[in-house]
Amino acid sequence: MYIDVVGRRNAFLGFSALLILVGMIALAIPPHLNLGIDFTSGSTFDLNFTKDPGIAAVRTALADANYPDAIVQGAGGGDYLIRTPDLGENGLDAIKAIVTKEIGSDFTVPSVSSTSPSVAKNTVRDAITAVGVGAIFVMLYIAYAFRTVPKSYRYALAAIIALMHDVLVVLGLFAVLGRVIDAQVNAIFIVAILTVVGYSVNDTIVVFDRIRENVRLMPSRQFRTTVNISVTETMTRSLLTSFTTALAVLAMLLFGGASLRDFLIALLSGIIIGTYSSIFIAAQILVLWEEGAFERFKFWRRWTAPQAEQAT
Amino acid sequence: MRRYRGVVILLILFGLAVTLISIPQININALGIHFDRGKPNTPLGLTEGLDLQGGTDLVFQGVHADGSPPTADDMQGVRKIVEQRINQFGLNQPNIQLLGNPPNRLLVQLPGLSGSTINLAFAGNPVTASELQQYFQTTLNHPEATVTAQPQTSGPTKFTISLNSLQPAVTSTTSTEGHPSEADTIRQALAKKYPAVMTVEYPVGGNTSTSTAATSTAATSTSTSSTSTSATATSATSTPHYEAPTVANIQAVLGALNITNATVKQDGPWKYSITLPDLQGQSVDSSGNVTYQEALDVSVALGETFGPPITSSLTGELSEYNVSGGLAQIEALISHTASLEFKERDCASLNAPNANTPWPPDGLTQAEWAVQRCTNPKYYQEKATGLTGKSLKNAYAGTEPGQVNPVVFIQFDSAGAKTFYEVTSRIAQNGGALAIYLDGKQLVAPTAQKGIAGGNAYISGNFTAEQARTIAIQLRSGALPVNLNLIQERHVDATLGQDTVHKSIIAAVIGLALVLIFMSTYYKLPGIVASLALLLYAAILLAAFKMAPVTITLSGIAALVLSIGTAVDANVLISERTKEELRAGRTLFAAINEGFDRAWPSIRDGHMSTLITAVVLFWFGDRLGTSIMQGFALTLAAGTLTSLFSAFVASRIISRALARTWFGRRLTMWVPTGGVGLESAAEPGD
Repeated sequence: MYIDVVGRRNAFLGFSALLILVGMIALAIPPHLNLGIDFTSGSTFDLNFTKDPGIAAVRTALADANYPDAIVQGAGGGDYLIRTPDLGENGLDAIKAIVTKEIGSDFTVPSVSSTSPSVAKNTVRDAITAVGVGAIFVMLYIAYAFRTVPKSYRYALAAIIALMHDVLVVLGLFAVLGRVIDAQVNAIFIVAILTVVGYSVNDTIVVFDRIRENVRLMPSRQFRTTVNISVTETMTRSLLTSFTTALAVLAMLLFGGASLRDFLIALLSGIIIGTYSSIFIAAQILVLWEEGAFERFKFWRRWTAPQAEQAT
Repeated sequence: MRRYRGVVILLILFGLAVTLISIPQININALGIHFDRGKPNTPLGLTEGLDLQGGTDLVFQGVHADGSPPTADDMQGVRKIVEQRINQFGLNQPNIQLLGNPPNRLLVQLPGLSGSTINLAFAGNPVTASELQQYFQTTLNHPEATVTAQPQTSGPTKFTISLNSLQPAVTSTTSTEGHPSEADTIRQALAKKYPAVMTVEYPVGGNTSTSTAATSTAATSTSTSSTSTSATATSATSTPHYEAPTVANIQAVLGALNITNATVKQDGPWKYSITLPDLQGQSVDSSGNVTYQEALDVSVALGETFGPPITSSLTGELSEYNVSGGLAQIEALISHTASLEFKERDCASLNAPNANTPWPPDGLTQAEWAVQRCTNPKYYQEKATGLTGKSLKNAYAGTEPGQVNPVVFIQFDSAGAKTFYEVTSRIAQNGGALAIYLDGKQLVAPTAQKGIAGGNAYISGNFTAEQARTIAIQLRSGALPVNLNLIQERHVDATLGQDTVHKSIIAAVIGLALVLIFMSTYYKLPGIVASLALLLYAAILLAAFKMAPVTITLSGIAALVLSIGTAVDANVLISERTKEELRAGRTLFAAINEGFDRAWPSIRDGHMSTLITAVVLFWFGDRLGTSIMQGFALTLAAGTLTSLFSAFVASRIISRALARTWFGRRLTMWVPTGGVGLESAAEPGD
């Protein structure tokens, strides 16, 4: 079995470019992402009624409690998810009192979360830093792990490009899903993204590891052939691992609670795109680089020239 | 047997892990070793995070009044004070930690929901703590209720009842009439359960009257009524009445008020006790005092009918009822900036300011005056000293030679010491006192014999050791060194948490089962080996979580599922490599060894990059979303390490052991579905 992935690389690269383009367009159009209170500040809480009063009654009660901008979402069975500006210390008690007065006391508030604007501002910054720092450390590790292979920095950079590709695709997906199914980007989404980072790199490393091994076995073989052979050899493993992990995540998504839905969607899409990019993006970048495809860019020549000298 | 040593060790390990998991609580307390792991009421005895067991996460930002960031010392001080405040509140097992580097935020985790507390008292102490506890646990459906009694020097015993939650918790200040919250329902049940007894005693010979103007309807309806009076106790001219009201008279008065369930007993010629079950018209003021309109009506009606009694008292009823534990209250308690004030007190003059003024004033005796001139706010005057809680460096209880009772030592900083010297010099000279107020309430008001220099002093008095300690704590905790702003709050109800736990367990089990089934059917024997290794992996991981103990959170469960993926990946890599080596024509043993060796670099690098991610996550977890991140990172790291062991050590041992058995001669069982059939028979080797 031999699959000529390299020969069809333009199709894959084009597909990825399209995916990212669509995602970026969705991201560019306000409201960009459906950001959770971890980023925007504010409060979210659940109102669970024993007897469903209807969404209009809940909206009216919130408006009467001085929260006319509250976003009310019905979750079925008399359960409502409500998002308001920061409730402060007494806001919830006020809402409870009004709801009791207008609708009745047969309700519970099983969960409440609040984030103040100062924290929210830092969260955005810290989230970006966390992803960036994670990526840099992983890159350094790859450069180290592949130090025996000629031009190991290429492997590290290719892995990071694949990783950024994955992060962008998941972000774009959430820009779309935020509009379609109200998927939220919150602190736990950052956890998902970082996990995707780890997973994507893991996948890429497996492919690169095979390339590393095959380069060592047959140093004289054309690089694109080596990559094709390596990709083919690892294809089964990549698909199987991705499939089984996706299976476990899917089980969580289908049978687990609703509170982790968005997190699991991010993970699932990240796992799939991570596997895809390890074969069709990361490995292809190595080939493009090796074959000098980037040389046609002036900036590239200027940028890589000193490094290339050092590497040889 | 030697060749199966590895398998035996794995079996022992597996057995040990399963045993540790299945024993809900492990408690070793012998030979000086204290080992206590596992929790009751949680799946497998694992420690659950707040998102699973229910509870509240609060993050406060410390900031100086002028906006400057707090120092590490400030935050340590804050932590201690908040700890004291929460402990005083009586909440169970709070977790208080500082966040940030240098620390500028305070994380307070309060498990088991907000934990409501009811403070109540019954006039006349009709009930004991154990009776009350029994009543809460059985009748009021609060099996978790604990009741503690605090006898008071004056007034009825106060009871503190700790409950997990009240739904919906409405504090006494915002009691909503007509929509009974559980707090209100309990209050009414208690009022009903413990009936009030009103004892009334009239002056022998009956009341006197100055006028009949206030004759009420109640009075005219009774046949042997005494003349009514308008409740003026003192009257100059009087006409004596000699007939005492009968039980029937009183019942008639009650009947006129539509009270039918009361029983009236005559205790003496002019003495009656009226039992009023289920007093109506409860109301609670902001400090928790319960009053009853019905009792008021009765006493007014009786007064109008029979004249003012010598004594009229209500006992047995619920006289105080205070609910605390709403989230807002805890937040307020924590971030409360108590103010410690030091005031210089000028007492009123002991002797008359001039000969013409009657002295002591207000008909007080000389002895009373000596005390009151310095203790009754009516007579003394106070002015600010400029000393604040900030000037106070330390306060602690101790003993001082020459003092019988424990004393409270106080230390001021250098600026404070100077002021303290000036103030003490003045009060020593003019016989005043240094009044210390905490939140406007007087804590202590010591006098001074002479000006105290150096800023070190002690306060003596008839303190018990406990009182001295309390005063010291109050002085110390007087003011937070910085302002605390609540910046983040997460609150999860216990029932929601339980629901999530159940769903997650089901999902995790289904996920794991799917993976195992798939691996076994696709990879056949290596798949079964991998599945066994995965089961071992799961058992070791859970046992480790329980023993560490690692707190399991929602995101932790997600990390667990994800690390199953990593573990599967390692096994898939090995299986694929083994398959390739078999196809290349190696013997089974050689193929297994080679498969493991060749898969190693990938597995190592993959696991390393996951570990790096976990470390970065853990590092940032401190800044982001508090517990979510760190729980995830910790679980992911632990899962990745265990996966490394399960794939690399356990799988290899099991594979090699299997290869020596009957299975070793069935090569097709070692090649995945769709694989090329192998002809050459492999020999089991060493």
